[in-house]
Amino acid sequence: MADHNDDLNKLVGSMKALASPFRAFLQDLHARYRPLREGVVASYIPELAKADPDAFGISVVTVDGQIFEVGDFENLFTIQSISKPFVYGMALEDHGREHTLAKVGVEPTGDAFNSLIKLDERSKRPHNPMVNAGAIATADLIHGADPTARLQRVLAGFRRYAGRDIYVDMGVFLSERTTGHRNRAIAHLLLNFGMLEDRLTETLDLYFQQCSLLINSHDLAVMGATLANNGVNPLTGERAVEPRYIKDLLSVMYSCGMYDFSGEWGYQVGLPAKSGVGGGILAVVPGQLGIGVFSPPLDPRGNSVRGIAVCTELSQHFGLHVFEGGGTRPDLYQALTARPQRRGSPTVA
Amino acid sequence: MSKIISLHSFRGGTGKSNLTANLAVTAASGGRRVGIIDTDIQSPGVHVLFGLNEGTIAHSLNDYLWGRCNIEDTACDVGAGKVDLNLDGGRLFLIPSSLNAGDIARVLREGYDPGRLNDGIRQLLSRLNLDVLFIDTHPGVNEETLLSIAISDALVIILRPDQQDYQGTAVTVDLARRLEVPDLVLVVNKVLPLFETGAVRDQAEKTFGAPVAGVLPLCDEMVQLASGGIFCRHYPDHPFTKGVQQIARRLLG
Repeated sequence: MADHNDDLNKLVGSMKALASPFRAFLQDLHARYRPLREGVVASYIPELAKADPDAFGISVVTVDGQIFEVGDFENLFTIQSISKPFVYGMALEDHGREHTLAKVGVEPTGDAFNSLIKLDERSKRPHNPMVNAGAIATADLIHGADPTARLQRVLAGFRRYAGRDIYVDMGVFLSERTTGHRNRAIAHLLLNFGMLEDRLTETLDLYFQQCSLLINSHDLAVMGATLANNGVNPLTGERAVEPRYIKDLLSVMYSCGMYDFSGEWGYQVGLPAKSGVGGGILAVVPGQLGIGVFSPPLDPRGNSVRGIAVCTELSQHFGLHVFEGGGTRPDLYQALTARPQRRGSPTVA
Repeated sequence: MSKIISLHSFRGGTGKSNLTANLAVTAASGGRRVGIIDTDIQSPGVHVLFGLNEGTIAHSLNDYLWGRCNIEDTACDVGAGKVDLNLDGGRLFLIPSSLNAGDIARVLREGYDPGRLNDGIRQLLSRLNLDVLFIDTHPGVNEETLLSIAISDALVIILRPDQQDYQGTAVTVDLARRLEVPDLVLVVNKVLPLFETGAVRDQAEKTFGAPVAGVLPLCDEMVQLASGGIFCRHYPDHPFTKGVQQIARRLLG
């Protein structure tokens, strides 16, 4: 009986979502930013340069599983740096907070996404898990008997977050591996300081693989909603990460998630988020929803131009900033599920 | 304020399309701009009451749902030049579903994006500047029915004094409550003249906990007309016509 009610509630919920005025809001947002022709598609590997600069998808998923999306939300692209907070969560689960913090800090660097290595002078730790050095050190922490087992564990983790099987794009992975001299240099330096286990090639492969996962804006929104929902995927009901580590993930996303734009993002948009050079941005409204945006052209800081614009407008329009008005933050969820209000149309006499 | 009113019945044959057409004509004759959208894609019918057939329908709702045209391209101005409809300054547009067997088969096989139906309904309201839009739904429970209920300001559930209709109607009433439709009314149709109207009304209101907006008689004239026109215009003084006017007043003020 409970199952029947669940199905009924899901059906009713999906119809309410379809009828919600928020749908029209997203469509309007999409139509207004579609003509925005700023930014350039990432080109450091040929596979990324092939991305369609006009592709543009927006997805929003609520903690009770309602889905709102518009545009190219099914277009697949590589997750790139958006994988970092999720693998960080897996490392925390494998080692706990203390050991993980000994290997990777939580301090913003203000450095660009492609910056060369900078380690803490005393501890030799990378500053945080969102810069490449920190993400490589984090990938090194993932348990597993052999490279395949470690990759399978990472893929299983992403499967729980996204609610579907996630695969590595082999072309992007091989290309990242062939051209990843900078990351290789970072890994060697970390190894030199004893911050990596002696399995450098394997860990680098795992890192290149986690960056080459194929996802779409829908997946990003579901993954964001899972974080917003205290670690439980709202579509599958499956737990993706232990609830005690949610605040660790969201904190580093808030302070370090948008490369050297993180401070301004935290000020303007005020949401934990992570961007990737594949054109994706994932943002989390804790307790309410996840947002996923896909649009490949990037600004000089490596963040999706349309993605920033969409998140900024969503946050400002609905007052989503986590520090908004001392606890009087309006509940976007209410706006999403409100019955449509139509403006009056003049009556013909 | 434009208004969306859905008409639904759990089972077929309740006279839903007929009531939709008569309500729409009654509403338009008050000078309103009125639309009817036939979302009964599997078994369209309301177009017949306005004398349309496959040859006279240029674009259908199906064409819009498949992205072949804009929603306003599908609107037939069924009031234009129809002196007998006596719209008295009102306008009446019909958005028909396709009568082409291949089109119906394609919808059954491939389905469509219900979100696009929602978008189309909203565009229709603004682009045709409608005061009222009536949605003639498919009987039973399916996606377009639930969507129609979810976006409606009022829902009219039609039933006959019949046990099968009674049980099914309870399902629809439950769904409508979950979808928080602001105004839910019942219409009991095809009531035999020997039944006492007041008793039928009381029983339905007690059973479903919802107001009855009208009790309409089963009548020979309706059978004779055989969907060959708008009953209210052919029989302006008939009790059925009076009942429709009463329902229109209840819904539109």
